[in-house]
Amino acid sequence: MMSRDVIDIKAETSELHTDKMWVIMGPQHPFSHGLWTLKARLDGEIVVDAEPIIGYLHRGWEKECENRTYPKIIPMADRLCYAASMTYTHLYCMTVEKALGIDIPEKAKYIRIMADEICRIQSHLMWLAAVGTDLGNLTVFLWAMREREFFMDLNVRMCGARMTTNFPRIGGVRNDIDDEFAMFASRCVERFEKAIWDIIAMIDDSSVFVSRMKGTGILSREQCANLGITGPAMRGTGVDFDVRRDDPYDNYDKMDFEVPVLKEGDSYARYMVRIEELFQSCKIIKQCLQKVKAIGRNAPYRLKVPSKVPAGRAFVRMEDPRGESMMYLISDGTDKPYRLKVRSPIFVNVSAAKPLVLGSRIADVPAVMAMIDMCLGETDR
Amino acid sequence: MAKKEYLDKYPRNPARSLWVMKPVSKALKIFFKTIAHRPVTILYPYEKMWMPENYRGRPGLRFDRCVACGMCVKMCPTACIKLVDTEDGSGQKVKRPQVNVGRCAMCGYCAEYCPVDAMTVTPEFELAEYTREDLIYGPKRLAYEGITERMEIHLEQTLMSDIKNGNPERRISPFKTDRPVLVEAKCISCKRCEKVCPVKAVTMVEHGVNEKGRPILYPEFNNDTCICCENCVEDCPKDALYINEVL
Repeated sequence: MMSRDVIDIKAETSELHTDKMWVIMGPQHPFSHGLWTLKARLDGEIVVDAEPIIGYLHRGWEKECENRTYPKIIPMADRLCYAASMTYTHLYCMTVEKALGIDIPEKAKYIRIMADEICRIQSHLMWLAAVGTDLGNLTVFLWAMREREFFMDLNVRMCGARMTTNFPRIGGVRNDIDDEFAMFASRCVERFEKAIWDIIAMIDDSSVFVSRMKGTGILSREQCANLGITGPAMRGTGVDFDVRRDDPYDNYDKMDFEVPVLKEGDSYARYMVRIEELFQSCKIIKQCLQKVKAIGRNAPYRLKVPSKVPAGRAFVRMEDPRGESMMYLISDGTDKPYRLKVRSPIFVNVSAAKPLVLGSRIADVPAVMAMIDMCLGETDR
Repeated sequence: MAKKEYLDKYPRNPARSLWVMKPVSKALKIFFKTIAHRPVTILYPYEKMWMPENYRGRPGLRFDRCVACGMCVKMCPTACIKLVDTEDGSGQKVKRPQVNVGRCAMCGYCAEYCPVDAMTVTPEFELAEYTREDLIYGPKRLAYEGITERMEIHLEQTLMSDIKNGNPERRISPFKTDRPVLVEAKCISCKRCEKVCPVKAVTMVEHGVNEKGRPILYPEFNNDTCICCENCVEDCPKDALYINEVL
């Protein structure tokens, strides 16, 4: 009979592949918000290798744009990401405006960035709800969804639709906002700034949340630069960059807001950056409401633009709730684009899946990947 | 500079947040705070959520105003609108839009780009049916009672030339400014533009006789009744017409 030590040594040196195994999570899995797969190679509990697989939601978005006239692409851009529909339509309209070489009215700029910030808040709240379910707290999920509902109502009052808003237009916005909306918006934002502290108290003082987020999924600045990660995931690692402040589009340079940056680089830092962004977005909405009121009711909000875009190329980038999104338009002088390329932030950020989950336990993978805020509509396009 | 609301209070000592009694006391505080709340949910089929007037539900149609210009068909991003034959009140055969609501994306383009404000958005959102055929809304079924002013969307745009000339407050619809223009050298006098015009704004006027002795007819456009639907431009076999965009 062999001694215990001999058996252990034999198991270590054996050629049988029983020690490491691939665990395939997704595409239908509670942790994947959307249709994507994470293949994780496990050594016991520890993840030693990981590989994200995307492409389950590919719809041929970019190709389909080539068959549509310019205004018809706006409702399609809504459907790139239902949580960030305003920012994507805004980005598309800015790209076409740059190709046309026109400057839109001041009022439209303020209304657009206010719509963007409402969109950012509701997108972050949806992320917060997802984090709540991933970490096993349904109260956070329900409360975040409840707060989100108030911003959905603001969307309805502004443009008549809750999620796929179809609000910005090439040359301005769809409709003007009225005094009633301004009243509701300021009331909603003020209420939200108080109500969000309840959710923060649920998370920050709960050891369940904090112990699972602190120190997991650590990403360094170098990895951020090499992988091209943008957005709150990047600002959580100490990179001080925000397109809204450093390369301002529309009227963000006239706004007074702060870009939260934290150096830790773990999941908790990414969580804190997003929560602080909620407050900063509230500030921007309040300033926009004042500016729109000062401009007056009769000011122009929508320019008439030519239906044909002159031949050329245009490239615009903007700060999406999830990161830096870009669009690149090639026009051949007709009323349909020759090519429209979308750079989606999550398509790039999901490449960080391997360095994020490497070395962590398999139970931490949902918590770590939730901090990327997956959105598959824009990733697969 | 704006101040940070959340990050100035946090982060604090993580050991404190791991102390087990802290969350219990916080949760109790929130419990007492929320126990006096009224519910945020509603009993849906019995109570309905209040929706503002401008809510974009299914498209609606005002039968009498429609001129069957086909602008909604052209603008629909999902191609769910089709012009079908129907009868109006006096028994005359007319064409009116039919909407496949199962395909409709509720974008509101048909209402926005309607030159005569016949298409509207309606706040009706309960559209579920048992069969797919029931989802097709014919012209009569598209009617909606109680269309208010905010359900109509008017395409009001500011011209760039107006802003340059110091008159930025004028808003005008493109259907009132843009008009078709004829390139006479290309016209073959086929009268197709006269036939397709939904508002009878095109009249063929004689301009002399050609070398074979046949009359040369050129279309003339009535600028008051034209609604800029571009039907004549699209149907012209020789591309002799184009829309002059006033910017």
